[in-house]
Amino acid sequence: MKELNFKSPTFFERLKGMLGVDFYRLFHTPMFYIFLGIAAVIPAMILGTMGMENPQTGEVTAQLYTNVWHIIAAETPLYVVNNIADYANMNMVFIFGGIMVSIFIGHDYKSGYVKQLFTTHAKKQDYMMSKTLVGAFSMACMCVTYMLGAVGAGLFAGTSFEVNIGSLVIAILSKMIMSLGWASLYTFLNIIFRKYFGVSIVSCFFFGTGILIIGAAAIFGNSSILNIFLYGSSVYACLSSNILTLLVCLICSVVWTAIYTIAGTRILSKCDVY
Amino acid sequence: MNAIEIKSLTKNFKEKQALCGLDMTVPVGAIYGFIGENGSGKSTTEKIICGLIHESGGTVKLFGKSHTDPDIRAKVGVLIEAPGCFPNMSVWNNMMLQAANLDISNAEQEVVKILKLVRMEGAAGNKYKNCSLGMKQRIGIAMALLGNPALLVLDEPINGLDADGMRIMREVLTDISKSGTTIVISSHILGELEKIATHYGIVRGGKMIKEMTAAELEADCRTYVALQAKDMSRVKAILSCKYSRVEEYEAGYIRVYDAVSPEVIVSYLYENGIIITEIGTSKIGLEEYYIDLMEGK
Repeated sequence: MKELNFKSPTFFERLKGMLGVDFYRLFHTPMFYIFLGIAAVIPAMILGTMGMENPQTGEVTAQLYTNVWHIIAAETPLYVVNNIADYANMNMVFIFGGIMVSIFIGHDYKSGYVKQLFTTHAKKQDYMMSKTLVGAFSMACMCVTYMLGAVGAGLFAGTSFEVNIGSLVIAILSKMIMSLGWASLYTFLNIIFRKYFGVSIVSCFFFGTGILIIGAAAIFGNSSILNIFLYGSSVYACLSSNILTLLVCLICSVVWTAIYTIAGTRILSKCDVY
Repeated sequence: MNAIEIKSLTKNFKEKQALCGLDMTVPVGAIYGFIGENGSGKSTTEKIICGLIHESGGTVKLFGKSHTDPDIRAKVGVLIEAPGCFPNMSVWNNMMLQAANLDISNAEQEVVKILKLVRMEGAAGNKYKNCSLGMKQRIGIAMALLGNPALLVLDEPINGLDADGMRIMREVLTDISKSGTTIVISSHILGELEKIATHYGIVRGGKMIKEMTAAELEADCRTYVALQAKDMSRVKAILSCKYSRVEEYEAGYIRVYDAVSPEVIVSYLYENGIIITEIGTSKIGLEEYYIDLMEGK
């Protein structure tokens, strides 16, 4: 007869197991590389097509960016969007990141994999944390490929590279840190709409665009209070960033991650998961 | 100690009550055949045991502890509906992922051992989506077996399998049971279930209407005399005059369920000018027992 020895794995053992599975899946799915490619292509397309001459009319299209780093982040925090150049920067990665997280989590449910997970893993926060960390990692990677795409296109288009290196590094690091907060939001949304894949994607896209914050900024103006929100902090990470920016982004990202993880865990613990 | 002890379990889905005070007891080491009509509450009960859905009321204890206890849950293997595998990955990779998920230290050896147990060692490199239904079900069981579970919950694992697939599944489950793992298996294929189950639970309308051991079922199953003759309708009419329950079966047999020996029936029919071509005694199986129970006979 089998000896009944019940010993629950520790938090780190559980998380290690789940993260191992999620990272394996991430690196073995073409979707991850497609999204990395998309992140690289977007700035390249924007920069590459700007300033091109129309062969029929001879007109040169408007130059959205005179400096290649403006496609990474604005010179100053621009919560109010007046033109597309104020909006189109590395924050767009978070929109595509949301779609990727939705597909990733949606596949857990579609394949029925969550049955195995939630049967053996009683602690629902493991799931929330694992998905958040994997989502954050993939979005941080997308930030890197976005930057590489921007640099490549900038070289091709001959755009200026003049920048305060310190501020640029802090801005990019801050945006990568914000990936954690965004990933937790998307994981949370996917938990809420776990039975409705389409709604999950649409909601991630909607929140990822930062339209609510842009709308609020249009009413209340460029207020630093908006930094308490994920999109606000993401915008705050600009080319005039300093160490305070990094700190604000870190705090915002960690606090929202904690809030969404706790809320998502509670939903999973209280509701039927499959 | 019981592997599963459920008391007054209820589950409501909005207005619909799926379970209404279900009690269930599964001893450690048993192969528990969980039987019931579609929508009777089998899958709901199994999902509650596995922690996939929450009960509305009642208590569920696994090995004497709450079913939500993480210590216990790490030792429950599950195959509900279809296996939770990634279709584009190989069987091996799916197994290794589950092993990683459970943080099994000697994962490769464990996966090889389990694939052998479920007779899938030759198909480890196949993509999951290319596997047959029978293979998929066995992969599902293999996934559930990782981590050396003390309790295995299988929801209709033999549905849709061909005769050979069923035989293999039967052998696999018997082998697993020998190691002391408690198995709860729900199925509509009662003939197959009867060959392996040591205990039974029959559920109807969200309530357990009967729980018994295989020995109790054997004792409970009525003996009958089956016979064949030339003029079956006349035979039935004659026998119905004397015996209380005479039924004609599809296979061209008449069954007499009264406590009577074949010799008595032979001489009775002979007196009425009927020659019997075939006669013998037998017992009803689980399937007929279940149908009788459902029909209130």
